[in-house]
Amino acid sequence: MIKDRIVTLSATILLLCIVMSSLYPSQFPTIENFSQIMLNLSIDTIVAVGMMLLMISGVFDLSVGSIVAFSGGLAGYLMYYHDVNFLLAIAAALSGSLLIGFINGFLITKIGINPMIQTLAMMGVVRGLALMLSGSGIQNFPYEYNYIGQVKFLGLQSPVWYMFAIVLIFSYLFKNMAFFRRYYFIGSNEKAAHLSGIEVEKMKLWAFVIVGLLAGIAGILLSSRLGAALSTSGKGLELRVITAVILGGASLAGGQGKIVGAFLGAAFMGIVGNILILSRVSGYWQEIILGIILILAVGIDQLIQKKK
Amino acid sequence: MKLSVKNIAKSFEVVKALQDVSIEFHEGEVHAICGENGAGKSTLMNILTGNIQPDAGDILMDNKIVTIHNNQHARSLGINIVYQERSLTDGLSVAENIFPFPPTKSFGRINFVQLHQQTKALLQQLEILEFSPETMVVTLSPAQKTLVEIAKALATNPAILLLDEPTASLTDKETTILFSVIRTLKQRGVTVLYISHRMAEIKLIADRVSVLKDGKYQDTLLTNNCTTEDIIRLMVGRDLQQVNVANHATNEVILSIKNLYGKGFNDISFDLKKGEILGLGGLVGAGRTELAMAIFGAKKIDSGAILKNDQSIHNKHPKQAIANGIAYLPEERKTLGVFLQKSIAENIVSAQLYGKGYNAKVNNLKAGEYSKMLNIRSASVQQLMNKLSGGNQQKVVLAKWLNTQPDVLIMDEPTHGIDIGAKLEIYKILKQLTANGKSILLISSEMEELLLLSDRIVVMREGKLKGILNKIETSENEIIKLAAQ
Repeated sequence: MIKDRIVTLSATILLLCIVMSSLYPSQFPTIENFSQIMLNLSIDTIVAVGMMLLMISGVFDLSVGSIVAFSGGLAGYLMYYHDVNFLLAIAAALSGSLLIGFINGFLITKIGINPMIQTLAMMGVVRGLALMLSGSGIQNFPYEYNYIGQVKFLGLQSPVWYMFAIVLIFSYLFKNMAFFRRYYFIGSNEKAAHLSGIEVEKMKLWAFVIVGLLAGIAGILLSSRLGAALSTSGKGLELRVITAVILGGASLAGGQGKIVGAFLGAAFMGIVGNILILSRVSGYWQEIILGIILILAVGIDQLIQKKK
Repeated sequence: MKLSVKNIAKSFEVVKALQDVSIEFHEGEVHAICGENGAGKSTLMNILTGNIQPDAGDILMDNKIVTIHNNQHARSLGINIVYQERSLTDGLSVAENIFPFPPTKSFGRINFVQLHQQTKALLQQLEILEFSPETMVVTLSPAQKTLVEIAKALATNPAILLLDEPTASLTDKETTILFSVIRTLKQRGVTVLYISHRMAEIKLIADRVSVLKDGKYQDTLLTNNCTTEDIIRLMVGRDLQQVNVANHATNEVILSIKNLYGKGFNDISFDLKKGEILGLGGLVGAGRTELAMAIFGAKKIDSGAILKNDQSIHNKHPKQAIANGIAYLPEERKTLGVFLQKSIAENIVSAQLYGKGYNAKVNNLKAGEYSKMLNIRSASVQQLMNKLSGGNQQKVVLAKWLNTQPDVLIMDEPTHGIDIGAKLEIYKILKQLTANGKSILLISSEMEELLLLSDRIVVMREGKLKGILNKIETSENEIIKLAAQ
């Protein structure tokens, strides 16, 4: 049981909620607070699902934060400056994000560029593109566009529902589709996977495309929710997401992790962030504390592994 | 310095790697250690270099019992080793590689003048003149790198030097250079322990040869007074007779290789018949694995044809080979064959992740059937691969490939590093498979295995086909003659 990260992380989250509810009975366990936490973590979680897929196959992508800004920026630019229909603008933004993922995947698998270097470079390139598109920010989107990310259903804003849908769909796919199972084999032994008939390169290329697409969706939802496309959107998101995914049970070596772990990791970080706000800890402390939590989580994991 | 081991024993869980081994190594001799894979050579080396501790027995240096705690301690006692795998850093010079702790000036700056003088003196002693201390290692040939490795080991002034398959990647000419260095060492009174598979070399360079088999000491022979056959007889023994070796080959050709060229092999042609075990013999580096991978679509073919049931097939990727009914069990099980962190059940379905959906329950049932059929010893099919012994892992790999319903199984060293009991079980399974109409291309460096199981044997040397031998008419000698000249 202790070995299963899903179990330990769920228990930790539950414990945190119980403790906080007794400490701040009027502030923490309320529907508004809960819905706010969920809204805050929805964008991260959508990207984290893609990151989990990558980390299961043994790679990661640093350009996702920039893609989030790029996607919202491109949609906003097309709608605001060129009066493009909002659906077309979304389609263009998603295609663009997907293309960035494809370029990453292509250069990594076909040319052989190291994933960290490729996506690090792409992070800069795409951030620059986002800056060119949205400048100091674009506002005044068509009503339909803002509706996508601001409509409420059962007390929760729509990005939360999109997040749940994406987590559920990918969880299902990972359990039942041979296509997604292959990623576990690629991550645990790439050479053996190749000799088992798995098209490792093609599969990895697909993984980067899927991550690009998910980051694009996150970008649309974020800009629609805020009613603005900002070139600074998604800054530092890549590190938050990688932290969430590792907390959720992925390993840098690959071959391990579950999609629901990505959600739990992001949820844990969201709740810790909320706790810090409620207990009036300065915002500066948040990143320090999350960094320490990551080191602790991975450190404890290593100790357990060594004991085995 | 005189080195000897007395009644050394070492077990890894159930496998007895060494049992009651006693050998004396004289000062200034070249002493070869022979044995098949799994005979215990590496375990003995690891004990002498302090990497592992023996369960029982003593190591004596000049008749005094010593305990070797670790690699560094071994070095300080005067024992050093040159491993098969290289330990050199390509981006540094010869001198820097030889002396990882170079002489320094103030503030820890490296004293290059002294370092290069020191290195030059060492290279001259060894009569190595082909490269200088300043040469970058990246520019050296494999043989020159081996010489640097030896120089590095000698920089610590060892009285005893262990060489683990030093000629594995060397050409004949390069081997000659290495041998002259070894002779120089001998004159200086260094005891050299020389591990090699190559009989001709042992006769040439060693004074005496000790043979290990299945972890037991067999005998020590004077190389001047024995023949290659004597050594081989000690190495292989004769206890594999209990396998039923009935020939199930039919006349129907299932796989036909025609004038195949690729990297590592040239102009290879042969037929594999239905129900046949076709042995593929040769030394390490003869191009057998490259050929097997090319047939399986994992390596490129430059020209030639592969026919299956008289139909030409083109395997550009293992995926297509699997669809064409070909399976390949790779040589390096741990790095190429299995997913150590995955369960038995997941390993068994790993070659079938195309087409249908993924259903863990169905997979577990299927894995359970194979587990029973092949007698895989484990608590359940959920057990992780890294908890299994080598023999059981290999059975899981076999199950994985049988699950793809192949007609042709290519098996690359299927019993490497497996204990004798599991070996016999795998032999029986292979024969059973051919009785059921499967065909097997068996790559093995163990002569006895090849002779025992194969119906015919194809021998390769340096990428070329040297002959196809009929089992009944052939012998180990004949294979070795073709494989090694």
